[in-house]
Amino acid sequence: MTTVDAGRHARRPSSVSGWSGRTIVAVVVAIFVLFFVIPMVWLLLATTKSAHGLIVDHPFLPGSLGDLAANWDQLFGFQDGAVTAWVGNSALYAVGALIITIIASIPAGYAMALTEFRFRRSLLVLTLIVMLIPNTALVLPIFLELNVVGLIGSPLSVILPMSFFPFGVYLTYIYFSTSVPRDLLAAARLDGCTELQVFTRVALPLAAPVVALVAFFSFVQSWNNFFLPFVMLPSSDGYPVQVGLTSLLASTPAFNPSSAGTQSVQLPTLALATVISVLPVLIVFLFAQRFLVAGMTAGGTKE
Amino acid sequence: MTVMDEAARSAVIPRGRPAGRGDGGERSAMSYAFIALYAVLTIAFGILPALYAVYLAFTDGDGRFAGIANFTKVMGDFRFLPAVAHVALYLVMWLVALVVLVSFLAIVVHTVRVRWLSKTLRLVFYLPGALAGASSVLLWLFVLDPTASPVSGLLHLMGFSSFVQVIVPANLPPVFAVIAFWTGAGGWIVIMYGALNNISRDVIEAARIDGASTVQIAWRIQLPLLRKWISYMGIMSLAAGTQLFVEPQLLSQASNAVVPNDYSLNQLAYQYAFQQNDFNGAAAISLLLLVVALALSAVFVTRGGLFERG
Amino acid sequence: MRAIGGASALAIVLTLAGCGGNGGSSVGSYGFPQLTQDDKAPITVWVDSDRSSAVDAFKKANPDVKLNVVTYDGSANGSNSFRTKVQLFDRAGNGWPDVVFSTQNNDAAWASQKSNGKQAFAAVLNSGLVPKTTLDDFTQGSLNPCTVEGKVYCLRNDLSQVVLWYNKTLLDKFGYSVPATWEEYQAIGEKVAKEHPGYIVGAVGDSFASEIYFWSSKCQANDITGPKTVTVNTDSTECKRVASMLDILIKNGTAPNVSVFTPEFVKKYSDKVLLMPGPAWYAGAIFNNPQSLNVAAGQLGVAAPLAWQGDTAVTGNVGGGTWFISSHSKNLKSAEKFVEFVTTADDYQVNLAPGYPAYAPAADKWIKKQESSGYYATDLQALIKAGPQIWSGWGSGVFSQEAIWAKTMTPAIAGGKSLVDLLPEWETAIKNQAQVNGYTVK
Repeated sequence: MTTVDAGRHARRPSSVSGWSGRTIVAVVVAIFVLFFVIPMVWLLLATTKSAHGLIVDHPFLPGSLGDLAANWDQLFGFQDGAVTAWVGNSALYAVGALIITIIASIPAGYAMALTEFRFRRSLLVLTLIVMLIPNTALVLPIFLELNVVGLIGSPLSVILPMSFFPFGVYLTYIYFSTSVPRDLLAAARLDGCTELQVFTRVALPLAAPVVALVAFFSFVQSWNNFFLPFVMLPSSDGYPVQVGLTSLLASTPAFNPSSAGTQSVQLPTLALATVISVLPVLIVFLFAQRFLVAGMTAGGTKE
Repeated sequence: MTVMDEAARSAVIPRGRPAGRGDGGERSAMSYAFIALYAVLTIAFGILPALYAVYLAFTDGDGRFAGIANFTKVMGDFRFLPAVAHVALYLVMWLVALVVLVSFLAIVVHTVRVRWLSKTLRLVFYLPGALAGASSVLLWLFVLDPTASPVSGLLHLMGFSSFVQVIVPANLPPVFAVIAFWTGAGGWIVIMYGALNNISRDVIEAARIDGASTVQIAWRIQLPLLRKWISYMGIMSLAAGTQLFVEPQLLSQASNAVVPNDYSLNQLAYQYAFQQNDFNGAAAISLLLLVVALALSAVFVTRGGLFERG
Repeated sequence: MRAIGGASALAIVLTLAGCGGNGGSSVGSYGFPQLTQDDKAPITVWVDSDRSSAVDAFKKANPDVKLNVVTYDGSANGSNSFRTKVQLFDRAGNGWPDVVFSTQNNDAAWASQKSNGKQAFAAVLNSGLVPKTTLDDFTQGSLNPCTVEGKVYCLRNDLSQVVLWYNKTLLDKFGYSVPATWEEYQAIGEKVAKEHPGYIVGAVGDSFASEIYFWSSKCQANDITGPKTVTVNTDSTECKRVASMLDILIKNGTAPNVSVFTPEFVKKYSDKVLLMPGPAWYAGAIFNNPQSLNVAAGQLGVAAPLAWQGDTAVTGNVGGGTWFISSHSKNLKSAEKFVEFVTTADDYQVNLAPGYPAYAPAADKWIKKQESSGYYATDLQALIKAGPQIWSGWGSGVFSQEAIWAKTMTPAIAGGKSLVDLLPEWETAIKNQAQVNGYTVK
């Protein structure tokens, strides 16, 4: 039986009676569901309309397949199919950064959680401070650094900075420190395992959930990153989706009046571009859902 | 930065030494090997740029030492105090909404026993989080325009009949809070859900046997056990809130600058860097933001006693 | 703490890395420090996606010139990408493109200046790089946004002179005559509100509203007097007369506070636009656009820009893109060839360009082509006449007047305030913005 029980609805000391309490909560949740869902539904429907229809028709009236096809053609005809290149680039950067992130973050989180070494505390505190500095201040130095080593314009100029993912390290750190019993490691050490073997044979097999987690968050963050690729990539061949979208926006009269004319991009096409830019993230989310739920605190801490 | 990003900024202070035996020397060496790649990345893309930013903040455009000149210049800018006010207002609204509503929704989602419903709810809440920056400019241009919005009824009810009326300066803090909540809440709900999964079923069962109602369980057991997570969420959101950038930037584009591009402090830093070609001023603003974020986080940390063991 | 010591050392290296010199430059024959030239080197061209047809046309006509084409957002909608990237390149010491198209017309204000000691990005064009005859053939005044202290730093792609658009069919139906002065325009506005409510004669919700109405009236809101000096005075008769006129029209609903690019405008005012002072590109953008007002053929007419009674006829300007040549270019010859082609060649400007060419000979031909389309109810000579009439007292500074108007005035008008009362606020906002951008306000 479904029990959508009363949550924090009743802050009052006396509990709310069963059915009315549940109904109120159900209504509140329904409102929130609408809140989250309505704009997305609108966006999906918008891809099937013509620009004129988008403005004058009712927001929830679906358009026609013909309009969807026209928008599709306009989107993929933009700069001769630049959109596919953008998506491909985004995938390249996100996956590249993901791989390096995993290689860097998992062992690092493990080490900080379950081993002893001199700079452990400092490393943790330092990266916290660095995470709190606004991006704007860090862009120029990173740009100069990469320019010195001649990487500006190559995919590495985007992949490397995005691989610095302290959030992933903290996730791993929390996970290992709460979910892997130290006794297990101590036992392995007693058995004569080297540190490397302790990591690969004991800790790593237990780390599947957190690896999926870090991979997912890293992917999403890299996929949605605008500023870094904008700064590092001078050539439009290398644009990821987020930067490409600004080109698209600049050809949309609503956002750039001087681009008005018959060649300009229409709003429903922009909606379609938005949906396409978001799909990969959603697909990855669907796959990673299981781990996102179970993985975070799987070991069980006691307060 | 994304909401998730701030998520684990919290659990920082490491735990006490584990009582383990073994060869300390060898263990240390291997540990260094484990952190090597991450340390290199941190130095290259975290520490060095941060040091450079500090250097910029205290020098002028020609590289000469400038003392606190950049800071006084930035704080005397006519846009500085309004930006501070904007960020402060937004922060209060967003923090309260996020902490209260996410906790509520997470608990509710958790109590749903039907698996597909629970999964769908989580997906629905998370979906908007996939829309970043430029992707949602178009979306908000329409959603906030009473003549074409899917929620035009609601907007008309609130007395708005044109787009410009919705985005007047007085309305912006709640508008941004709504947008940020829309994109950010889902990720947190998922994390809280995982944290709730962590609470031992036995405890809940025992309470139920003792006659506690669902509300009491939520209020007396689940919430206190979630206290740390809620506080973490608070700190992370605090940090993200002070760095408000994406929402005003995208509304600025959507409205063709009716929402200004110097609304928040982070945007102001961006303007200094790229409009006024004054990276020193930008670095000064960034450092100020850093100090504030650190100070506020420290308050949470010490008052909440959040970083003790566990 | 060894790590930190090493870190500081690296930080110092970084700082020095930004000091890259310009390698082998001396003040060349064109009036700016030049690199050693190589006539065969490929040139990197930055365009927005709307200008890619210009690149294609050039490639067709000049297949021997090697091009690397980069499409970017054209610095549109306040993104400032052109300036952002050039600043980064300046600090790195390399990476500048050879030719850049910008949709904005105020880039010369910063591109002509040294920044933090680094060489100015824009090449000087009127010291020999571009033939004088070519420069002289541009519509008079069209190169003003490109000119700083007598030197021309860019070529204008298109001109956006403000003219009076009107719906001839409606005007005849209502029995009004086309106004010639702002006073007559106001009178029609007042009549329309009484006799035909719902119809409009203008719109003030766009960020460029000040450029349509205040520029045309010689309001001294943006008097750029030098690379770093500006005079702002909105307390004059010129400014006040516009403000009070617009106040009346805003109040009676004939000049609503709506942007012509919003869904709201299309929904409320399709078939309801009687008069509309606006730039040349309004025709393709709003009137002859099925996604916007979609005015049927034979209805749209254009008349000379409105003037104030007894005053000389001047008009405003909204936009118009610019082409820059980099002073760091290794192949100025090809770069100049490209820029000259795209701004003057019939292949592009007459046959393909969507906007009114700034190059006068091309403009004449372009107008003839538009007239032959049969869409307009009148001839388009008013556009040609208005071209040289753009008032030179409104400059192009580094800061955006449009952003100031949108931020300060649009919400205030939405809140019911009168423009006349808002004039001092506007002046303060402009002065503040100018000052943070390094201008001295006189």
